[in-house]
Amino acid sequence: MRDTLLGRFLEEFFRNKVATAAAAVVLLIVLTALIAPLVTPQDPYDLTSLVLRDARRPPGYIGTGGYTHWLGTDSQGRDLLSAIIYGLRISLQMGVIAGGIAFTIGAIVGCSAAYIGGRFEALAMRIVDLQLSFPAILLAFVIAAMLGQGRYQLIMALIFAQYAYFARTAHGAASAERQKDYVEAALSIPLSPLRVVLKHILPNSLPPLIVVATVQVASAISLEATLSFLGVGLPPTEPSLGMLIANGFQYLLSGRYWISIYPGIALIIFIVSLNLVGDQVRDQLNPRLRR
Amino acid sequence: MSALLEVTNLKTWFPTARGEVKAVDGVSFSITPGEVLGLVGESGSGKSITGFSIIGLIDEPGRVVEGSIKLEGRELIGLPSHELRAIRGKTISMVFQDPMMTLNPVLSIGTQIKLALEAHEKISAADARERAIKALAQVRITEPEQKVDFFPHQFSGGMRQRVAIAIALLHRPKLIICDEPTTALDVSVQAEILAEMKELVAELGTALIWISHDLAVVSSLADRVAVMRHGHIVEIGPALGVLTKPQHDYTRALLDALPSRAKPGQLLLRGAGIADAAPPPRKSATANLPPLGSPYLVIENAVKRFQKPAGFFRNIAIKSGIAQPAPVVQAVDGVSITLKRGEVLGLVGESGSGKSTLGRMAAGIMVPTAGGVLLNGKPVMSGGRSARKITTRIQTIFQDPFASLNGRMRIGDILAEGPLAHRLVTRAEAPQYVQEWLAAVGLDPTFANRFPHQFSGGQRQRIAIARALAMQPDVVVCDEPVASLDVSIQAQIINLLIRLRSELDLSLVFISHDLSVVRHLCDRVAIMYRGKIVEEGEAGPIYDNPQHDYTKRLLAAVPVLPQAAE
Repeated sequence: MRDTLLGRFLEEFFRNKVATAAAAVVLLIVLTALIAPLVTPQDPYDLTSLVLRDARRPPGYIGTGGYTHWLGTDSQGRDLLSAIIYGLRISLQMGVIAGGIAFTIGAIVGCSAAYIGGRFEALAMRIVDLQLSFPAILLAFVIAAMLGQGRYQLIMALIFAQYAYFARTAHGAASAERQKDYVEAALSIPLSPLRVVLKHILPNSLPPLIVVATVQVASAISLEATLSFLGVGLPPTEPSLGMLIANGFQYLLSGRYWISIYPGIALIIFIVSLNLVGDQVRDQLNPRLRR
Repeated sequence: MSALLEVTNLKTWFPTARGEVKAVDGVSFSITPGEVLGLVGESGSGKSITGFSIIGLIDEPGRVVEGSIKLEGRELIGLPSHELRAIRGKTISMVFQDPMMTLNPVLSIGTQIKLALEAHEKISAADARERAIKALAQVRITEPEQKVDFFPHQFSGGMRQRVAIAIALLHRPKLIICDEPTTALDVSVQAEILAEMKELVAELGTALIWISHDLAVVSSLADRVAVMRHGHIVEIGPALGVLTKPQHDYTRALLDALPSRAKPGQLLLRGAGIADAAPPPRKSATANLPPLGSPYLVIENAVKRFQKPAGFFRNIAIKSGIAQPAPVVQAVDGVSITLKRGEVLGLVGESGSGKSTLGRMAAGIMVPTAGGVLLNGKPVMSGGRSARKITTRIQTIFQDPFASLNGRMRIGDILAEGPLAHRLVTRAEAPQYVQEWLAAVGLDPTFANRFPHQFSGGQRQRIAIARALAMQPDVVVCDEPVASLDVSIQAQIINLLIRLRSELDLSLVFISHDLSVVRHLCDRVAIMYRGKIVEEGEAGPIYDNPQHDYTKRLLAAVPVLPQAAE
């Protein structure tokens, strides 16, 4: 069936060549990250496979393992290509998990505030506004520093820094939807408030939330990289992209550029692609930007 | 007399992904100086596009592909844009439907008139102001010396439309094109504007093309009428002739669709739109209901006040006397009315009369500020701070079928949701139940898998009716259910309501601004004015012999079609 909402959406999406290419890159990165153990020559977490003799070798070096290090090795002798792929895997996990939970919390807070109204709405939205008035990086940094290093701590910090954006957006969209006739029609049946929020208001508030989500997953990934770079993110045993960049940082001026530059390029390509996809989704879902 | 404007074989097409849309496809007519031509048709007939083609305002990618438009012998098609601009606003001007959209909200009326003057002549600021005052006086705006400095939002809808007309008349054009200029206005304002327009045209000798979907409005103004359909003119001739002795089947069908020409309660268009409908799947359980004709829905002294809520800081400011509380709007001001079981009660009023607010309170979707609504002796809403509707026996049909259906749900889910939530049907019975209701409102039962955007306005309104009736109510509140539909679709929906009402013994509260539709459908009528019911009673006596001044004025304002000699 061609004439579904999704069908028409995809048709329009593929008309934009840049966004289609970006979507392909995102898809490629996600797939590679998913099957990382199958495509990488080395498991960068397996400390026994690291050979110190191979450390800081330039791209193209053939190491003791007998295979070519296409992007060189880092200061511990890790194959950089493998480390980057595993790093992307971690970054993606962090971004998607944190973004997904922040999305859910934000949508629930925003929609219920818009539906219930009154003091609850005022209180919830003022808290959200208060949080939005601080830079996300500052909030995440404080929380991450308080909770300590580790995956779950980092995810909590990212959620805390990001849910407010979703809540604000959901609240705006849901307030507009709340006024519409179909909501009144649902209330006049009458359907329970929970059902009205979940089945009527929330699905119709999704388009702007999806737009925010594409941007926020990208920003969660760069937040995570920033925190790891600053040393409050993931432990060194699970090198994410930020950690890799941080590790290579000290060698930059000694000519061993590849340790920092290649993870950086990978991060940039990934985030730019995500944002390009997000921009196109935003253009398509925002009726005001339609021709 | 030679023709002022001659349109020959005009074709205006719009290329789309699915081929050319032939909005106007071979239209020819002419108009002499001082003549009024009514251009009538349903939505999509090409009547507005014809108007836009004449003043050269067709939006890309649409274009005039063929034909000629001659103004006093001079061909307008293919004229360079600067020459067209010299004609537009000076020799031919236009008035649009929504004056709020055509007037600039940040400029005063005087400034806007000055700009319109400067577009075609050199004029000093003082002279322009004087001309603006004169122009406003000409369209019967009182105190034009003060009003000239007003901004559009300070005027009512009717006044704004008068300003738009004043601007259109500034350069004494030879032709004015009016595109549904009174459609968005109340009947009494419409009547005033129609009368004034008639005088102005006669006074100035301006020719007028009046585009409208409303045959009665056109008949009160036009010398000649052209009926359009699918981009063609199907019939053109003297107004009286076309409207009393229509030659073309389509014109006849349009006239037959009007409730004002049929006997009250009769099916319109020889029963169009219900021939294909199946009987509704089941009657409401009527065991414990009072007999037909006994009081059923009782509204007691209902009051609704609106006030913009003050926030925390504003409340402090109000309490300490720094700020004034927001003004209170008394939408419904103590209304008591009783709906008998099986009766159709018409709630009539102009915009702002409180009729929709009263309807919402009756339907249990708005909490009254004071007073109560009882259905069969039981309240329709729970009391307390979080008041909620607690009965399913009263349902609602809304005005805009494009807004009242959730676009993300399939039709089947929209219809089944309520009955499932209230256990009127089981999950296994639901698909069958939905199909039976779709058939009952004259839709294909296989439509259950589709989404609302795949349907036309009339079809959506049928779906909305099925959704309300699938809850097996005894009372249905209909809030302007046919106001946004074309006359032929309107006739089908009216027929459907007449039939379903008698088959299901429904009681209806029918809210409408359209007096002829109310006359056709309703047993009893209540006239609302400024939040109060000013007159109430059997429909026949009220229409034939109104008692209250407002009712008299309202009925006198309704444009009437010349009656056909049988």
